[in-house]
Amino acid sequence: MKELTIRPKGRERIPVEAEVISPDVLAGKGLDEITNLPVYVGNRKLTLSDYFELEGEIAEKAAEQSIVVEGDVPWVKYIGANMKSGHIMVKGDAGMHVGSQMSGGELVVEGSVSDWAGAEMKGGLLRIKGDAGDLLGAAYRGSKEGMTGGCILVDGSVGSEAGSFMRRGEIVTLNDTGPFTGVHMNGGEIFIFGRASKRLGAEMRGNGGVIVCFGEVESLLPTFVYDTTYKPASMRIYLNTLRDALGIKGAGKFLDVPFARYRGDKAVGGDGEILIAEG
Amino acid sequence: MSFVVNGVEIEDTFAEGFGMWVTRILITAKNRKWASTAAATMTGFATSVIMCDCEAGVEREVPEGETPDGRPGMSVMVFGFSKKALADPLLKRVGQCVLTCPTTAVYNYLPEKESDDMIDAGKSMRFFGDGYQVKMRMGDGWLGRRRFWRIPVMEGEFLIEEKFGAKRAVAGGNFLIMSGTEEASLNASEKAIDAIHRVPNVITPFPGGLCRSGSKVGSKYAFLKASTNTPFCPSIKQSFPESKVPEGVNSVIEVVLNGLDFNSVKAAMGEGVKAAIQVEGVKRITAVNFGGKLGKFQISLKDCLGGA
Repeated sequence: MKELTIRPKGRERIPVEAEVISPDVLAGKGLDEITNLPVYVGNRKLTLSDYFELEGEIAEKAAEQSIVVEGDVPWVKYIGANMKSGHIMVKGDAGMHVGSQMSGGELVVEGSVSDWAGAEMKGGLLRIKGDAGDLLGAAYRGSKEGMTGGCILVDGSVGSEAGSFMRRGEIVTLNDTGPFTGVHMNGGEIFIFGRASKRLGAEMRGNGGVIVCFGEVESLLPTFVYDTTYKPASMRIYLNTLRDALGIKGAGKFLDVPFARYRGDKAVGGDGEILIAEG
Repeated sequence: MSFVVNGVEIEDTFAEGFGMWVTRILITAKNRKWASTAAATMTGFATSVIMCDCEAGVEREVPEGETPDGRPGMSVMVFGFSKKALADPLLKRVGQCVLTCPTTAVYNYLPEKESDDMIDAGKSMRFFGDGYQVKMRMGDGWLGRRRFWRIPVMEGEFLIEEKFGAKRAVAGGNFLIMSGTEEASLNASEKAIDAIHRVPNVITPFPGGLCRSGSKVGSKYAFLKASTNTPFCPSIKQSFPESKVPEGVNSVIEVVLNGLDFNSVKAAMGEGVKAAIQVEGVKRITAVNFGGKLGKFQISLKDCLGGA
């Protein structure tokens, strides 16, 4: 894998939209060409080199390209947006829309991210080692589908409306989630190891969407009905995947734990599922 | 023509294998007892397609560390003459013998990339949920797409993978163990079966892996399409005009095996024969064939033994 390091020249006050920071855009280009790639600041079109120093090697294929963004860049939006393959590592915080609509590859943020991270994600793995803002993996306003594939793993806590309109894929948070997690969800899985805030799964529809709570649940909407407490074999598959594929060691301790099963949101005739670990 | 290994005469002949379709499933349960119960029930009355709807058997016990849900499992292989003739009994047997068995779950154990086709057994099985089944989607876009069905049952929930791999395989691997006594034949056969089951990708569908009757195509009765292998029955060797039972042989047992591919069957036959000829009292080993007229696979005893 060939590595390109992108180092910010300073800390900007106005956000910079830099969706060119993606292996798919950079691969196969010369360093001169890359430095002149466009970034947007408000309505102004500038170049990557106006804000960043670039150093390293460029691969012919995106799958062989690794990009390392050195330092905090919370003012940079759309890092890894639409990426299909390759690897990005942000060694600090990242701005809004990181990994949005990505469909492959791996994007790791060592710090925290702002809103809309992994929005409408289709594939790949987005790892956020700090906290995530609102609308993680959500659908953009007006869209009928949020995430349709891929996995988002957040070590920290998550803001409100994570996984809104989710259809497929996985969101895993090792800490707390904000209100309206899984709102309008219609498929996919959300695993919450911290505290789940109120209005969980509001207006969840269809059949097949699952929210699994391993920690405390602030409150459930009255439109979710309790079915039973049991140990579904499917949960063992999920937990083994979380442990083996994502390295979440704590998942193993829930293998033999019973789960309370709630179905809803009956307010909209939904048959989504909330499973809450007991004990 | 024959050759001698370890003092036992081995006829230089071949087992005549024929093509079938196979699928392999993994049954897991809360503990070994229930995984084993489900596998045994599901593979019952599945010795030969002469009279059964399929041929099936347990390939091996799968330790909990190797199963998707971390529970003890049993690998089961099912053979049918066509993809449809495989899919039908698979559905019925999983539906009646595994869905009904406490705590079980069923997974595909023949990966798609190793299969010639896929069978929608789980997708069909979902209807047992009567509308309350839940589709479980996993790994889209990052780990590899997998689909399961969660079917509500009175005890809890039955989990089954949506699709199962199926491929063209080899059935009808066999060899006959001919001994001076029933004890020697049985002892040698048991040792052969133990050795065969150490080879992956094969099953022995008959009771304990053994077929004491043997079989031949047709009979003197028009209504019967197969009968016992009379040429190898010692009790009629003097009255049967074309008896193939040598002098001094009083008991013959056939070992029958099916496998995922030719090499697996051949390797397993070799291990079986090698184990059998270690037993005192075994006089001769041969194999059953129809002169190459029925099956397209010829598994030579000599080749199985490495050209001994």
